[in-house]
Amino acid sequence: MIRSFRDMDRLASEKGPKRLVVLAPEDEEFMMAVKSSAEEGYTRPVLIGDREKMERLADQVQYDISGTEQIYEKSRQAIADLGISMLFSGEVDIAGKGQIPTAFIYRAIIREESKVGKGKVVSVISMWDIEGLEHLTCFTDTGVNITPDYRAKAEIVRNAVFLFHLLGYPRPKICVLSGKRGINGDIPSYQDYLELKKAAASGELGSCEMMAATSFLDIFSPGGRAFRLDGVDIGRTEFPHIMLVPNLATGNILVKLDFALKNVRRRSLVMSSRGPIIIPSRSDFQDSILGEIAAGVTVAEQIKGGTAS
Amino acid sequence: MMTNFNQIRDEAKAKGKKRVVIAPVPMEMDFSALSAALGSGLISPVVIGSSDALSGWVRGEGRRASEIEIIEESDSAKALGMAIAMLKKGGADILMRGAMDPNRFLDTVLDKEKGLLKERVASLVSVFDPPGVERVTFATDTYINGFPSVVEKITITENVIKLAGVLGFASPKIAALSAIEQVNPAIPSTLDAAILSKMAERGQFGNVILEGPLDIDCAVNRRAATRKGVHSAVTGQGDIYLVPNVEAGYLMAQLSVFIGSTPMACALMGVSRPVVLNLPFVPMENRLTEIELAILLCGRL
Repeated sequence: MIRSFRDMDRLASEKGPKRLVVLAPEDEEFMMAVKSSAEEGYTRPVLIGDREKMERLADQVQYDISGTEQIYEKSRQAIADLGISMLFSGEVDIAGKGQIPTAFIYRAIIREESKVGKGKVVSVISMWDIEGLEHLTCFTDTGVNITPDYRAKAEIVRNAVFLFHLLGYPRPKICVLSGKRGINGDIPSYQDYLELKKAAASGELGSCEMMAATSFLDIFSPGGRAFRLDGVDIGRTEFPHIMLVPNLATGNILVKLDFALKNVRRRSLVMSSRGPIIIPSRSDFQDSILGEIAAGVTVAEQIKGGTAS
Repeated sequence: MMTNFNQIRDEAKAKGKKRVVIAPVPMEMDFSALSAALGSGLISPVVIGSSDALSGWVRGEGRRASEIEIIEESDSAKALGMAIAMLKKGGADILMRGAMDPNRFLDTVLDKEKGLLKERVASLVSVFDPPGVERVTFATDTYINGFPSVVEKITITENVIKLAGVLGFASPKIAALSAIEQVNPAIPSTLDAAILSKMAERGQFGNVILEGPLDIDCAVNRRAATRKGVHSAVTGQGDIYLVPNVEAGYLMAQLSVFIGSTPMACALMGVSRPVVLNLPFVPMENRLTEIELAILLCGRL
């Protein structure tokens, strides 16, 4: 079982290098991260993008790309299409987003998924490694679906369950987050929770366990009983593996609170049926991008070799 | 501007004793914050409810028990009605929710005729004392309005600006949050944020700097914002965070408390008198701060 980002980094250097296709590495932070991932032995990169920009940036970060496979292409959509098709054909193990609008990548993923008969909902899974918590957790969907309906949410949960199975969690705990509180009755996200609970019970979401909690208050203080801040201990809490967010705005705000919290690290990826796609936020820095690449390497390894033990 | 909860405490103490009416009290409730406020000489309490439910607390207060006024009324709705009438007549300064569920309590308190609603909508402001930050920060609406319209968001914004003003923020920096920092018609909250931002630019909220839409990384981290090409006085320096909906607000406040160990106290705004809601997601350590915030709001609403 992979319990932390440290586990991921270790596995990435042990099991790497994996083939990583990099879509438009035309930004300094991103190129630095790709360079480090090659140096750490995580990846053997294939770079697709504007030749002039890639060469200039590689030069700026002192990355010798003369021995690295490069494909020159300027059109953003063509870069996305080519990279994602390489992932689906098995030529590479991981795809990573550089300076390309995320929508182009999602479009390419949906196209490839429909070719292999999956037609899946594409969703972003943002993992958190929280100090004091003995396992990984995640928020999803934090990047694609603005206001997913129940059907889309079921797909989003399935995507995350697939990832957690790969990471060695045979029965991940799901928490459907909702703004339901003591006033104004039930809101749509709570109705979705009730439906998803049924779906989980009937096995439709894969092997997982639906928690009764729909908020952090429920998780840390079941029944709404009074609590003290100095008595909060996440290590002694039944904390979920997968937290489904009600909508994109909420998901984005929650998951990027790591910028304000000191005890949390974040790594995001898209889980396609053929492999992981790393999509760093435009505000992420090289350390976190490198971490996301390590996560991708780990997941690619688990897809190849079965679940982690 | 208030640097932390200790300063709020000091300011509240300087205000003199306030009369707090607690209603209804039909059963046992947690009186620890009240005891602390009573012990600090901040309040003189009037409790409307069943004296049976109160006997344990009153006994425990020893010689201070004489400062607790008890009005016997076993019917919860009547007890709350009496409390509101008392506030309106000036017989009390602050209303505190007793042991009635928040839904019923707010239904009455936020009734325009019978209750205390003053503005278009009431909203809850979560006030944080983040470790390592040199001032308190605010997020709103974290409880009351589910999916407010832009018209309601205008009032929610005015409500929090008023509270910030009372806490000494003469020109607060406000981040109107959404999923992304670009205006995108497919994401309605980005449009709302852009409207609020434009209104602020035209001076419609007074002396504030309001930027939106901002995603949370741009709002809390200037380096991240710069990397995204967002340049504003608000990035990395925000005092107030306006959330797009209650799911974001309610959950973000809890995440800050439970994962971030951030002290938090709440204030109900948009009402004519201070109301302490005593909501379950407020840590017990900070319940006294809620009373102190209410004290600072006396005569300022």
